Amino acid sequence: MSAGPMLQLQGLKKAYKGKAALRGLDLTVNDNEIFALLGPTGAGKSSTLLASAGLIELDAGRVDLAGRDVTDADPASRDVAIVFEGFNLLPVLDVKDNIAFALRSPEFREAEDEIARRVGRTAELLRISHLLDRDVGTLSGGERQRVAIARALVRRPVMFLLDEPLSALDLKLREGLRAELRQIHRQYRSTMLYATHDYHGAIAIADRIGIIDGGVLQQAGPIEEIYRLPANVLVGKLIGSPSMAFLEAHVESGHVVIKGAEQRLPIGEFGTVAPGSGKVLLGVWPEDIEVGPAGAEGASAGTVYAVDNRGFERAIQVETPAGSFRKVVPLSMPVAQGDACSFRIPARAGFLFDAESGRRISQTGEGGR
Amino acid sequence: MTNSRTSMVDLVTRWLILGLLIVYTIYNVGPIFWLILSSFKSRMDLFTMPPKLFFTPDFSGYQSVFGVGAAKDSASSVGVFDSLVNSIIVSVAGTSLAVFFGTLAGYVCSRFNFRGKGDFMFFVLSTRMLPPVAVLVFYHLMFARLGLADTRFGLVLVAIFANIGLATWIMKGFFDGVPKEVEQIAIVNGYTRMYAFTRLVLPMVKGGIAATAGFCFIFAWNEFAFASILTTTQAKTLPVKISAASGATGIEWTQICAAGVVLIIPVLIFFYLIRKHLLMGMTFGVLGRR
Repeated sequence: MSAGPMLQLQGLKKAYKGKAALRGLDLTVNDNEIFALLGPTGAGKSSTLLASAGLIELDAGRVDLAGRDVTDADPASRDVAIVFEGFNLLPVLDVKDNIAFALRSPEFREAEDEIARRVGRTAELLRISHLLDRDVGTLSGGERQRVAIARALVRRPVMFLLDEPLSALDLKLREGLRAELRQIHRQYRSTMLYATHDYHGAIAIADRIGIIDGGVLQQAGPIEEIYRLPANVLVGKLIGSPSMAFLEAHVESGHVVIKGAEQRLPIGEFGTVAPGSGKVLLGVWPEDIEVGPAGAEGASAGTVYAVDNRGFERAIQVETPAGSFRKVVPLSMPVAQGDACSFRIPARAGFLFDAESGRRISQTGEGGR
Repeated sequence: MTNSRTSMVDLVTRWLILGLLIVYTIYNVGPIFWLILSSFKSRMDLFTMPPKLFFTPDFSGYQSVFGVGAAKDSASSVGVFDSLVNSIIVSVAGTSLAVFFGTLAGYVCSRFNFRGKGDFMFFVLSTRMLPPVAVLVFYHLMFARLGLADTRFGLVLVAIFANIGLATWIMKGFFDGVPKEVEQIAIVNGYTRMYAFTRLVLPMVKGGIAATAGFCFIFAWNEFAFASILTTTQAKTLPVKISAASGATGIEWTQICAAGVVLIIPVLIFFYLIRKHLLMGMTFGVLGRR
């Protein structure tokens, strides 16, 4: 198949009991790609997946799958597989029958010897062959999730919908299974829509990332592209670890003036700047912010509010009159809670966002959306 | 010094608690003990003072309740066995149907949103809040008109009406405890919702069905108010029969006591069978979640 769109969602709207979950969501997942849908709880991730699978009735919008309009099509006719976060296995069936579940349905029925062959091969792939005769109640969390993935995989659907498939697992298991999902993806060249609230998980597995919040896709693209030009404040808050630093500022006589700070940034550094309401937020990736000892030349003053030890590095939270930000610093940097410090924004490192709408108003001429 | 005083206080508290428990036990178990004892006593032994603890057992009460043996043909035994049969038929049929419909209604209320769902659920619950006495006369007139008075069928209907609300609520609680992903996985994989309901969801709530059936059976079995008003002779259930059991030779105490014991036994059996699920049922399934 070509690398055209596998799944195309247009203007999806869905409200539950008057509460909007999707407010005109557009999203495209290309064939053979892993697309991570990253967003906080309640952002609309699950609704997006359920709508793609046909498991909820949409108020408005259109769903295209494998080049076919499936907006009103039966879930079974869409030929997608879905893996949920916590609950996944059918307790009334054993592991083998759970994996074979789809292959015995009226829609996807296979001959029993074919089922046995496929179940065996899939179990081998996910290294759960020794569990096949077990009762699902006796499995550990990681084993359960493997079985659930096997059940989705055994059918070779046109697309996988993964709703926080690894979130219920501990960190080690999560990383292991994530790598395996990537491996399976490479082997089967499958298309996956992977919903998660875990930033690290999303960038580790995905070819492209979509940031979802408030039932709307805020921005989509490769992670480098999102870093280069974040569309709005929400994207900045959900991307990065730590996420983007936002400082209150205003524009005055050709300079961006950070509230209570020494440093002034010439507006020319920000490319084409759209006229805003006056109050702006200066967004900077924490990696770009230079933090040093108090009183450094040309830098602004701040206070170290908190220090998190991460073993090989430290995350500090710096309080400034314009707002606080978190940044990772090397262990070699002498810093303690309550210390005075200084920070400096290097040239061309920042983005300007409208304080009210949250939209990026700088670098508008650089092809951002 | 202080030690011995606290241990003294401890001792007094212990004895006090023990005493209260003894009183409580006598209060609860005493009547049942007396009932069981009396059910084996002959008419002569029944009223001796002080009551006899040891006597020659007389099974005539049980014989008449089950319609066997010597007492079968005596005029006084007519109806007690029939009322036992009535009770069994009404309770079993009423319970089965109430649980059947309650299970379907509970599933719908758990899984689907429809207009007025909250009001409907409250209405269903409210049918259990109603004091039966308040509507007895109306039922009596209605049943008389419909030809349902003094029929088992009429009592089965009453048992369904009385229990379907409870069954719906309890079953809704158990269905709420089943993740909706069960059906979603089935549907995405090419099965129908009906398949998911009957083959996947129902087996997951079988404990709940058992608990619901237990509750409904006990309520139906013990039901007195409706049965006493809506029956005259043919359809009298055991509780009604006992309350009014008097024969040609006066009140048949032995028979009444034997019938009372028989009345208690199914309740004990059901409680024993469903004891695991009782707490879950009483909290309407909220504890059953995952």
